[in-house]
Amino acid sequence: MADPNTIPDEPKHVEAKAVILLVAIAALIVAFFVYVMYARGVFEPTQQLVLVADDSEGVIPGMDMTFAGFPIGRVRQVDLGKDGKVNILVDIPKTDAKWLRTTSVFTLESSVVGQTRLRAYSGILTDPPLPDKASRPVLRGDAAAEIPRLMSTARTLLENLENMTRPDSAIGTTLANAATFSGRLTGKYGVLGTALGGDEEAKKLLQTLQRVDAILAKTDRRVFGKNGVMDDTQAAVRELNGMLQDARVTLQKVDAVLVEAQAVGANAKVATQDLGRLRGEVDASLRKVNRLVDEINRKWPFKRDEEIKLP
Amino acid sequence: MPISSLLYLKPRDWGARIARYASSWWSMLHLGAIALVMAMSPSTWHRANRLATSTYIHASTWAVLPWFTLLTALISLVIIRIVLVTAQSYGLSGFALEMMVRVLVLELIPLSAAMFAALRAGMAFDANAMGLAASGVAPGDAADATLRRVRRDLVPQVIANAFSVLSLAMVSSVIVLVLAYLNVYGLSPWGLGDYTRTVGRVFNPVVTLGFVFKTVLFGLAVAVIPSAAILDMLRYRRRHRSNVQPGALRLLFVLLLIEASSLAVKYI
Repeated sequence: MADPNTIPDEPKHVEAKAVILLVAIAALIVAFFVYVMYARGVFEPTQQLVLVADDSEGVIPGMDMTFAGFPIGRVRQVDLGKDGKVNILVDIPKTDAKWLRTTSVFTLESSVVGQTRLRAYSGILTDPPLPDKASRPVLRGDAAAEIPRLMSTARTLLENLENMTRPDSAIGTTLANAATFSGRLTGKYGVLGTALGGDEEAKKLLQTLQRVDAILAKTDRRVFGKNGVMDDTQAAVRELNGMLQDARVTLQKVDAVLVEAQAVGANAKVATQDLGRLRGEVDASLRKVNRLVDEINRKWPFKRDEEIKLP
Repeated sequence: MPISSLLYLKPRDWGARIARYASSWWSMLHLGAIALVMAMSPSTWHRANRLATSTYIHASTWAVLPWFTLLTALISLVIIRIVLVTAQSYGLSGFALEMMVRVLVLELIPLSAAMFAALRAGMAFDANAMGLAASGVAPGDAADATLRRVRRDLVPQVIANAFSVLSLAMVSSVIVLVLAYLNVYGLSPWGLGDYTRTVGRVFNPVVTLGFVFKTVLFGLAVAVIPSAAILDMLRYRRRHRSNVQPGALRLLFVLLLIEASSLAVKYI
């Protein structure tokens, strides 16, 4: 600018080129703005949905609401209502509103990595469509909120594990006992020693068993041996058999006696019946004698005076 | 005029130096305002000015746009690939596109366009002004005449530089958006809906306005600060003793300030 008339060398058609450039850049800027407005859904007819949540953490204007993984709405505004609840205003294009029904469920999921996700689930697509400006509660699932609980559970679990793996823990003792048990199993007295609690006890048991064995041998000899108890028993049984036969004969005789006695009884019965008749007859004879005596008394001169004299 | 230069002065000269420092910032803002007002007033746009503006636009934009776009596309392609591959390896490919748009289109490209335009404008100023500054202190009348001439040329130059930053940033941004789509989805048109949605999510009203505002401010800074520095130098008839282009440090400071403010507004 030392020379006042210095202007950079004038290229050909410089004004036309400048105009072309100006127009092109202006068109580019306008096109960019139109594209951004289109991308933000300015030209699309929408309906509103108000989601009511307890906590707005992670919800930012502009975030998508998805249905089956497809974005169908965009959060326009998040504000705090008079009742202390968070109202999330979602714009849903009319073309996508068909996926939302009156029975749709809305969830807000916060993951450990990445942004919070707003999802819609429509179980029954034949239900009536969601009306404009509808208000629905949103269910919140927060993975980050689960972490403290998970950590405390994990800590308890680890403490338990540590308690279990300590040398003086119950499991350790059990395992030591198991080792002793398996050691005893493979020892001299094996299962017997293990079951009785020591080799000494097992030894005693074995001695006892040996004694029992010796006693059994003696018993066998005394019972089943020559001139043993069994031989005597057999003789006694034979004798008893003979006695039984004698008893049977005796009983037969008794039977005959009884038959006779029965016959005697029958005779006695008949005799008893005759005696009854005889007694009747005797009674009749006595009554006749009685009447006769009365008759004689009346007719006899030694008749008694029957008059009663009063003093 | 760095603050550290105060250390080499006597304390009684500090006030004068600070006043001069403040006045130089004020004159810079004043020049920017004059340039804007003149750019808006129809009386400025007579034939000579139109021709001068066209010539400057041609020099600062038309001549460099293809090369700058090509270079930005290449560097952006590398960054896009790195981001995409890294995101895929961590299973976060869903966030790759948003990150590319945010980092490249919103931050890196406007800043690099501003730097490029500043470098280009600085070189032009260097060629024009250094001779003047090197020739020593001009006499009073001659200095006033120079100021008038600089003002006459200044408006077209400021407009051309601002336009240059805006156009370089816009063209490169659009190219990078296309490259990002091609890298993520390939030549298939079926990712367009998803992509549009992501772009829509990134460019919310605050971010879009911030992007435009930042780019315009970059353009104004690049256009005004070096010119103001040279005018300042001429006004105080100082010899330019440093090898650094006049106003370069201040320009860098202002560019970083704008960028930091924009980031703070968007993310804090």
